[in-house]
Amino acid sequence: MEEKIICGITGVGIYGVISISMFFIFFTGMLVWALLQKKSYLNKMGAMPLDSGESADKFTETSQR
Amino acid sequence: MNVETFKYDNRIVRAFGIATVVWGIVGMLVGLIAAVELFLPGASLNLQYITFGRIRPLHTNAVIFAFVGNGMFMGIYYSLQRLCKARMFSDFLSWFNFWGWQLIIVSAALTLPLGYTTSKEYAELEWPIKIAITIVWVAFAVNFFGTLVKRREKHMYVAIWFYISTVIAIAVLHITNSMTMPAGLFKSYSMYAGVQDALVQWWYGHNAVAFFLTTPYLGLMYYFLPKAAGRPVFSYRLSIIHFWALVFLYIWAGPHHLLYTALPDWAQSLGMVFSLMLIAPSWGGMLNGLLTLRGAWDKVRQDPVLKFMVAAVTAYGMATLEGPLMSIKSVNGLTHYTDWTIAHAHGGALGWNGFLTFSMLYFLFPRLYNTKLWSTKLANYHFWIGTLGIVFYLIPIYVAGVTEGLMWKQFNKDGFLQYPNFLESIVQVVPMFQLRAIGGTLYFVGALLMAYNLYRTAKAGKFEPDTEAQAPALEKAEAAHGKLAFHRLLEGKPLFFTVLAAVALLVGGAVELFPLFLIKENVPTIVSVHPYTPLEVLGRDIYIREGCLGCHSQMIRPFRSETERYGEYSKAGEYVYDHPFLWGSERKGPDLAREGGKYPDAWHFNHMDYPGNVSPGSIMPRYPWLLTQKLDVQSIEDRLNALRRVGVPYTADRIAGARAELAAQAAKVVANLKQGSVNSEPDKEIIALIAYLQRLGTDIKTAPVATAAK
Repeated sequence: MEEKIICGITGVGIYGVISISMFFIFFTGMLVWALLQKKSYLNKMGAMPLDSGESADKFTETSQR
Repeated sequence: MNVETFKYDNRIVRAFGIATVVWGIVGMLVGLIAAVELFLPGASLNLQYITFGRIRPLHTNAVIFAFVGNGMFMGIYYSLQRLCKARMFSDFLSWFNFWGWQLIIVSAALTLPLGYTTSKEYAELEWPIKIAITIVWVAFAVNFFGTLVKRREKHMYVAIWFYISTVIAIAVLHITNSMTMPAGLFKSYSMYAGVQDALVQWWYGHNAVAFFLTTPYLGLMYYFLPKAAGRPVFSYRLSIIHFWALVFLYIWAGPHHLLYTALPDWAQSLGMVFSLMLIAPSWGGMLNGLLTLRGAWDKVRQDPVLKFMVAAVTAYGMATLEGPLMSIKSVNGLTHYTDWTIAHAHGGALGWNGFLTFSMLYFLFPRLYNTKLWSTKLANYHFWIGTLGIVFYLIPIYVAGVTEGLMWKQFNKDGFLQYPNFLESIVQVVPMFQLRAIGGTLYFVGALLMAYNLYRTAKAGKFEPDTEAQAPALEKAEAAHGKLAFHRLLEGKPLFFTVLAAVALLVGGAVELFPLFLIKENVPTIVSVHPYTPLEVLGRDIYIREGCLGCHSQMIRPFRSETERYGEYSKAGEYVYDHPFLWGSERKGPDLAREGGKYPDAWHFNHMDYPGNVSPGSIMPRYPWLLTQKLDVQSIEDRLNALRRVGVPYTADRIAGARAELAAQAAKVVANLKQGSVNSEPDKEIIALIAYLQRLGTDIKTAPVATAAK
């Protein structure tokens, strides 16, 4: 049944090519983008939770109870 | 530099924190009651309001939207302010969000036991409450994006990306799946029918797990885990890949809830493939979380916050490996409809969401009250009793799931079903249900210990309603920054980023949903399938009200083990008038897709009155009120008109004569009951339910199947 429906679409052959290209471009683009980030930027971003809000040490001492 | 002084709003965080604890305890308690009812059906004391079918959705809604929902708001309201170096955009909207959400929860807690339900899993609430959810969510979104606009920090940390995807995705999912036609204040019919309704529902159901239980919690993990560990996330680069891959892939995987059903094959394959791909980003995220603790494992030994986090992230990893494996069709053939699904869901809920919520509460309460946690020891007890609770919960219920799956499929050497009576499989796993309740109790006790610990912490400290902070205004910071690279532009502009994330999210949904709605051949029609009679419509609504689909599926998969047991496998064309679809996702009782004509009317009457008398050992609860409550005939025109508006071909004449047609069919059922030595009046609810049950699956029993395709 599915073949019949799918084959009925004019120019359906291009759909597969478009799909695989979409995925390839999306994931390659994303990987390239992520890999091109500068170390300084990544370090700065990664540290963001640490320099926001209350410092940790005051609260992490274990209580003796 | 123009340094501004401002205050973070701690009141709203505390309010959501308290709500998290309170609703968590309520939700777990309801779950425990439901668990006990499964091996002790009398535990509901024959009260209709607390039967399994009605409190199961109460439990799932309470845990997902009340416990995890409030936990999510608590974490977002705390972390967003600090990551943006700004107070929330509007205090009014914060409190509107809080009280609106609590009101929705209370209305759910009232309406679900009363039987007001749409029957769509995790979307059971009726249309007025659905509208309220939309309004509150929009208020949250305005407050959220308003805060992003007035932020003093140029860059958006990855946690905020995850929050953004949550805000958009939940809005889209909720609205698409909530399209219903009201038939009175507390009744509505889904706009979609049968297969289409099923696909929309599980597109929603799966992505509610993705974007309500997963993405916001991943955002919270990326904020709270580094904070508790005192070191940055292992790889910020990996977190970028984690985010984009996850939001791009997740939305496609919904059809894995419908494998081997009447859903078209292409949609099933799509769901399976994308589910398998999801392992990569999920495990990337899990490893990123765990590796953040590199060199800090000594802290894990000391700090209960980190203990809970490590266990939560590990549970996330296990659940996200198991989910894709269960999406492989051959594996799903065994696991689907069994308690394995319940085990999978609870591995995620108890481990990932539950433990991460506990860790946030233990992290936040001392900070909000400017003191130390009252008792670290008690928190450690909580950790171990909770972990044991999960183990004692999961092991028996996995055993139950595999046992059920194998027993349903077992043939003897002569080629007949080894266990032709469905009940045999249930009797076999009742001890597992009992053990599971012990595990649940342990987990529940742990939560009580936490509540006490947090209460004492609050008593010991002094609440700080606002935390003062200082930061330069954004314009200055931008000027100092110099030229902007593309990625910085991307994450620096919330609107642009939101649009991109929305596109990534929506592609999958569109590809799956549109063909099923636009191409008629996807749902081949069957000439002998007709709309339900007025009496059957009322019976079906009682079936929905009692939550029958919590235990009974209406979808026979094309396996020999199923066709031998239940009859001809289900076809997409059989459900074209089903608003909503009632395929179910779990079998604690047999499938009912071909129930019609299997037993006499009197059997159903006696069975609903006292299932144990008809089927010794049955765990089905009694429904004595159906025998005495009067059928709501007054609303039949409203119901039929609503169904007509969503496309069921009832003519105006038929609706005008509905009461006469209904009375005639009821009289027939009463006559049938008399033959079985049962006396009932025709205006009782049981009559309508029997009419509906006797109709199930009979459309294609009476005539040869004629499909439009092939």
